[in-house]
Amino acid sequence: MITIDGLTFQYKNSTQNALQDIHLTIEDGDFLGIIGESGAGKTTLIRALNGIIPHHFPGDYYGSVKIDGQDTFDVTPSALSLKVGTVFQDIDSQMISSVVEDEILFGLENFSIPREEIESRLSGALEAVGIPQLRYRNIAHLSGGQKQKVAIAAIIALRPKILLLDEPTSELDPQSSLVFFRLLKELNESYGMTVIVVEQKIMLLSEFARKLVVMKNGRIIQNGAVREVLQKTAELRNSGINCPRVVTLANRLMELGVQLEGICVTVDEAETMARRLMYD
Amino acid sequence: MIDLKNVCFTYQKESTVKDISFHIGKGEFVAIIGSNGAGKTTLSKLLNGILKPCSGTVSIMGMDTKKTKTSILARHIGFLFQNPDRQICKNTVADEIRFGLEQILKDKSLIQQRLDNVIAYFGFDPAANPFRLSRGERQKLALASVIAAEPEVLVLDEPTTGLDYSECMQIMNIIRQLNEKGITVVMVCHDMEVVLDFARRVLVLSEGRLIADGETREIFRQEEVLRRASILPPQITQLALRLGEGFEQVFTVEEMARNLLARTRPQYIGTVRRETA
Repeated sequence: MITIDGLTFQYKNSTQNALQDIHLTIEDGDFLGIIGESGAGKTTLIRALNGIIPHHFPGDYYGSVKIDGQDTFDVTPSALSLKVGTVFQDIDSQMISSVVEDEILFGLENFSIPREEIESRLSGALEAVGIPQLRYRNIAHLSGGQKQKVAIAAIIALRPKILLLDEPTSELDPQSSLVFFRLLKELNESYGMTVIVVEQKIMLLSEFARKLVVMKNGRIIQNGAVREVLQKTAELRNSGINCPRVVTLANRLMELGVQLEGICVTVDEAETMARRLMYD
Repeated sequence: MIDLKNVCFTYQKESTVKDISFHIGKGEFVAIIGSNGAGKTTLSKLLNGILKPCSGTVSIMGMDTKKTKTSILARHIGFLFQNPDRQICKNTVADEIRFGLEQILKDKSLIQQRLDNVIAYFGFDPAANPFRLSRGERQKLALASVIAAEPEVLVLDEPTTGLDYSECMQIMNIIRQLNEKGITVVMVCHDMEVVLDFARRVLVLSEGRLIADGETREIFRQEEVLRRASILPPQITQLALRLGEGFEQVFTVEEMARNLLARTRPQYIGTVRRETA
């Protein structure tokens, strides 16, 4: 479980707080989406969760982030990294090897995983993200989507309890983005991994995340089940977030006097709603 | 304005653009869509002469890109890269925009005039350091530098990637205004909602081939074509396709809401709040 209590952070040499009084509890096995305008503090929050803040970015730090009771202020990010794996925004900056296999071995060897376990972890991670065929390929020759999978395989091999991802689909086309989120769902459901993902594509979060946090100016301004948060269309719009169009449709129908039981967040749900209105 | 005839392009051994022909007229707003690796970026680079076709011809305003210097083409065709950081190279906003202008103009007072115009239009602080701006602001700066040259054709490679929704709308509204002034816009784009809202014509690429070319709304109803290109239509179009008959002309939220309202059975209609004068 992750508990953030009164976290405020200001980067050194900055004049304003990047995070302002954050309170948030994330249960084991949650699938949490984080959305907000650029500059809202999303990346800073991710850095505070994996301990990169305060250990690599100095600044004014108030409050605490505890992972299973352990305060990230008191342990180094590398001590945390067996528990918390991070896929950063800029994948290329994360890759250090030239061959896929080496990229995954690097983490395993650094954390002194026993030799007899290494092969099964390596092949298991490649299997889990669906790229066993890329094992001996040169990373420089891979597509953006493939690199993304290598980055995540390298993290999964370490079997972290918590997976943090900062805009993992920003360079992917819609189809690859969908495939990528299905993979996150699989990791979440089959391995019980806690998934925390910063994502601009609200449609993906609506379909896959169970909880949604909306940030603005360093604060959390909405936090709850995806459906509850999406219902607050006006507040979302004020925070610079565009609702999925099926949500906007449901809200518009209600404005027009149609009685609905609630909003729809996916096309499937919208279809069910529409058929009921027309034929029931 | 833009004419491609049987254009092929091959990187090393792999051909990425295969036998593509189309014509784009003045003032059009065209989107190029397709999955990663379909050849969209290659095609956009063929349009501005950064790449030359291996066979076939690309002609921009009558100039064959193979026979015309890229610097001459650059006076007529502006190109916005996917990542603004690949084109920003100066330490102030004003210098960044001036740099581009100096490549194409000699007259200092004309350069200053264009610079002032574009800075006023975008509302920039001319002394700001580009590298301290947010991603969205840097994208705007890159766009401003391109527009300052007053190109007749604007080619944009994923102008909204990495931007949040309000930044995306700002950029797209600027592009729409330019298009309304008569600038021809060709944009590679992954966001089908943006394509639906802004582009009037769509070219669909799959594995280097042009598999469809038509009016935006027509293209989004061609499920088979989109499936081949691994593209999902915008949400409301998906819904309209599933609902079938009677929803053929429905693409926007408002169209869907009005259409559904007209068919909703009376027991679901409540009392409507009416605006008073």
